[in-house]
This record gives sequence, C-alpha cells and structure tokens, in this order.
Amino acid sequence: MSTIKKKVAFKTLGCRLNQYETDALVSDFDQAGYEVVDFKDAADVVVVNTCTVTNQSDQKSRNIISQAARNNQGSLVVVTGCMANNYKEKLEGQDKITYVVDNERKASIRQLVDAHFQGEILHPSNLEGDVFQFSTVDKSLHTRSSIKIQDGCDNFCTFCIIPKVRGRAVSRPLPEIVENVKNTLANGFKELVITGVNIGRYEWEDKRFEDVLEAILDVPGDFRVRISSLEPDGFGNRFYDLFKHPKLAPHLHLCLQSGSDKVLLRMRRMYAYSRFAEIVDRFRSQWPDFNFTTDLIVGFPGETEVDFQESIEAIRRFQFSHVHAFKYSVRKGTRAERMEDQVSEPVKTARSAELREASEQMREAYLKRFIGRVQTVLVEKIDSKGFASGYGEHYVPVRFKAKNCQKNTFQKVRIERLEGEGDNLELLGQLVED
Amino acid sequence: MQAIKVDESFYKVKEVRRLTDETFSLRLPKSRFRFHAGQHISLGIQGDYQSREYSIYSGENDEHLEVLVKEVKEGYFSPKLSHLKPGDWVEVNGPFGKFRIDEKKIKDHKFVFIASGTGIAPFRSMVRTYPELDYQLIHGVRYGHEAYDKEEYAPERHVLCTTGDKTGQVNGRLTKYLKKATFDKNTQFYLCGNSNMIFDALELLKNKGFDRDQIHCEVYF
Repeated sequence: MSTIKKKVAFKTLGCRLNQYETDALVSDFDQAGYEVVDFKDAADVVVVNTCTVTNQSDQKSRNIISQAARNNQGSLVVVTGCMANNYKEKLEGQDKITYVVDNERKASIRQLVDAHFQGEILHPSNLEGDVFQFSTVDKSLHTRSSIKIQDGCDNFCTFCIIPKVRGRAVSRPLPEIVENVKNTLANGFKELVITGVNIGRYEWEDKRFEDVLEAILDVPGDFRVRISSLEPDGFGNRFYDLFKHPKLAPHLHLCLQSGSDKVLLRMRRMYAYSRFAEIVDRFRSQWPDFNFTTDLIVGFPGETEVDFQESIEAIRRFQFSHVHAFKYSVRKGTRAERMEDQVSEPVKTARSAELREASEQMREAYLKRFIGRVQTVLVEKIDSKGFASGYGEHYVPVRFKAKNCQKNTFQKVRIERLEGEGDNLELLGQLVED
Repeated sequence: MQAIKVDESFYKVKEVRRLTDETFSLRLPKSRFRFHAGQHISLGIQGDYQSREYSIYSGENDEHLEVLVKEVKEGYFSPKLSHLKPGDWVEVNGPFGKFRIDEKKIKDHKFVFIASGTGIAPFRSMVRTYPELDYQLIHGVRYGHEAYDKEEYAPERHVLCTTGDKTGQVNGRLTKYLKKATFDKNTQFYLCGNSNMIFDALELLKNKGFDRDQIHCEVYF
C-alpha cells in the first residue's frame, strides 16, 4: 500500500451478529493501516453488511448499496451479509458492486481489499471460509462488545430464511471463545454480549450453552455479561442458577414470535406458549424485575384476530419491556411462502399499530418500577451538557449528570423519574456518592 | 479453525416404489448418509431451483435412504418427484431436526406415535431403527389402502383410523380414537402430520393430563 492511508467506510443492517462482524472488520482494517471514516464521508472502500430477514430489510439493503455506490464513484463497493448469500448471483451482476462476499468469507474481506489495491483481483470464492476467524474487536462505536459463539441454525422455522443464508448450526470451540473474551476484555470492554444465530443450541464436544456461559463468567475482571437473543428451549436448573452470578445481567431477549399455540405450530417453533410462560414465571419468581424483551411476528399466514389477540395478551402477561415486532413478509424458499391464508397488508399494518401500543404501555410500566432504585450503569456517552447515558444491568436506559465520570465505566445511579415517550423513554437519575 | 460444513450431496435414485396411485417412496443409496430416526432431509431435483423437506422413511441401518411422498396433483414439486426414474439425480441436504427418540427412555417408557397420512414416515424409521421399542402406532388416513407398509408393524401395535371407508379399526378421525384411549403415565407421544391434526391431538393429550414435555411434534404442510 502507498503511504497515504486508504479510507474505508462501513454500513451495517440487521442483527447484533452483523453488528459484531462489522465491528470486527473495522478493527481488522484499522490495524492494517486503513483510515476508518463515517459512511457519509468519501471512502476508497465501502463495505455494506446487509440483512435479508424481511422484505423491508432487502429494500433497505438495496438502498444502502445504491447510496454507497453513488457517493463513492470509482471506489470499491463490497457487499456482504445475508442478502449477499440470498441474492448472490443477482448482486454479482450489478456493475456498481465490486465484490459480493458471502457470510462464510466475510472475515476475509480485508485480504480481498488488500489484494485489490496491490493489483490482484481475487474472486471472493477463493477466500478462506471460516465464520469464527473475525479479529477481536478493539475499535468500536459501542462500549459493549459481542462475543460470537455460534453461527447458523437447524431449526427451519417455516417463516425464516436464516438457515439458508447463515447455513447449518456450527459452534465455536470453547477455548477459542475464552481466548476471545480475554482479548476483548484486554481491549477495555466492560460488557460482553454472547451472540450467535441460535446460541441456546451451542454444541461443541460435550460442552453446551451453560458451559460457555460459566466459562465466560469465570474469566477474572470487572465486566458484565449479557445474553443476546435466545430461543425458549428447555433450560435446565443450571441455566437458572447461572443468573445468581453477579456478572450475568438479569435480562433475556426471549423470542416468542406469537402468543397463539396454533400459530407457533405453523411457524414450526419448538415450544408452546405454556413453556414460554414457565420460563418467565420461574425467573420472575426469583427475580421479580427480571427484564424480558422479545420478538413477535404480526400477520403470519392464517393468523386470525383471536390468534393476534393472544399475542397482545402475551405482551401484558409477560410484561415485556420491549417488543421487536415484525410484519410477516414472504421469504422465498421458506415453507410459509407456500401457505394459504396470507394476511393482507392493511390488516398487518393495523395489527402492528395495536401491538406497538400495547408494547409501549408495558415498557412504560416496566421502567417505572425502577424509580427510587439503584442501577449500575455502563456509561456509553457523555453529551456536551455533561449528561452521561447508558444502560443499567436490567438493560434499562438511564441518563444522569456525569460529575467527573468517564465513558466506559460503571456508575451507580439512583433513578428519580421517567422521561420521554414511546421508544424514547429514558430513566433519569443521580449518581450515588460513595 | 471452523469451516462451514458443506452438506449438500447428489444421489442417484435407485428405485421409485409405488405404494398407492398417489403415494410412492423414493429410494436412494445410503452409503455416506448418517441420520437419526425421525429427522428430515431437504430434497431437490437436479436442474430445479426449488426443494422440499421430507421425513426419512427408512431406518438408520437400512441399506437405502428412503422418503415417502404423496403427490399433490396441483403442486409444483411432488409431481416432478413422481416422474423421477432410477438413475436420475436428486440433491439431498441435511439431515435436520430434533424430532428424535431419546434413547435413554427406550428401556422404561412407552411410545405412542400419532400420524396422519404420510406423517407416518418418521415412525417407520423409528420402528425399524429400534426393534426393542414398546410402541403403538395410531395412523389416520382416508382409505385403508393408504396404510403404507402396514405389514411391517405388529398388528396389535397398529391402529388404523379411516374416514373414507370402513377398513380401519376405527371409522373416523384418529382423534375419535384418542378421545377414548387410555395411555400409561410414562408415555412419550410423537405427533406427525398436518397442523390441524397435531393441534387437536395436542389438546386431547393435554386434557388427559399429559405434560407438554412428553409430546413431540413434527408439522407437515
């Protein structure tokens, strides 16, 4: 490379796993001497890490790719992520895209770009395929870093395209995970998020998800651990007991998808509503404020008004503090694509609005519980007015007057009131003086 | 280093075994293929972009890998499968799924298999794989001739329910039989077939006091 630093910009769509993989790429390019710039700025290389989970994700991904090409004419445009897997040939046929790199080879994008600038045009299929070879994240826009323990999924839910684009379930060897955790902590991160496509199904030699969690919690240091999205599979006693560990945050994003057993069955989910309820009840009997967030799909084929109301009822019953609601959209190649009784778009839109309203009410009620109590907040940013903000251990958003505290430190904050509305609700508090 | 496992393979059709006018089994060589009874595969036809999932119909130790297919006349895929001849290539992806027997339970549990139509496929695989299994197979079909490979099951273990003729032990839906039947407390239930049957059977079993953990479901569409 010449002595003038090449500039690289990134844009990420979709899930936490994608975000982690971009963060790792940012670190890789940074260490290799590239200058990482904002997506809005001119760059020599633009990497778009796409998502294909819904039609809307496809649309967003297409728009971002066009924007990247338009704003950086003559630059390298590298498209990766799940859309790159799902529409590989279509994308490869577009002149505005220089390289289409599938998920398996995403970690090798820097080598591809290096080779390009050295005059060697590699076909991405010649890159090494390894879903766990990402660099340790050391430069990130976030204070928490993900730890990827698993990729792919074998569940084949009838609505889901992910097994097609992320492949079969594979688990990262435990010693590599522990090494990655140590390196990430050495880079200064205070919060680790255990990430993968279906992490509850971790399986490496005789080790299961609980073993991974325990091994991570046993690593010395001042940090906390959060579990990202999890399927409500049968958890054993050991899983519940692990939450007694002070480093493990009392929050789970447990994917419900529907409150109706009939819909769950057609979705080919592996649990019934009653199983989900058992899990929530067991946590809340021990930790009444345990935070549950979830995903719900609205308008799955055959979803009746009665089925939908069961989802609304579930939001109230489980007091989710946040619901990530998706309007069902047909994904080509899934079983649900061939199902009858597709729900019309206006009905889906109306149901989404009703669901959002129920979800916002529950969020407000949940956050109010924390007024008068203390949360340990990991400071993510400090604004120009001297207010620090971040999340408490229950994954509740908190803002407070910073008073000499630094970003990326834990601070005890007594919550005083709730402000804002809808998705922008925030708890306001005061630092607890030692 | 963890490489992505490439698990797609092409197999030559060995035999198309006609069971009824509409239903046939596709036999493929099994040499390289390992699976657990109850799992399914994704099947594609060479040159076609679509694929469909089918439960494996053969036992783990059989010499063939076999799937059971009912031709849906107005469908896209099954008519194409029905035209396959020995020597044609199909693409097999898998195996997939957790619809499996817990081997630790074989010794001291009873197993009740509840199937509608071609939902019998995983149960034939289980019965052939575990000859020691203490099982009962409740099979709901329209006509008696749809009791696929009936002779392979001990008569006292096989309950045929027919809605379209009177050749079954039960004349009516299998739920009619389930309503009256009694089962041991330590029974493991396996349900496979269309979602309406599964939902109705689930409700009946729950009303009989069985725990959801004892009931395993595989839905067909």
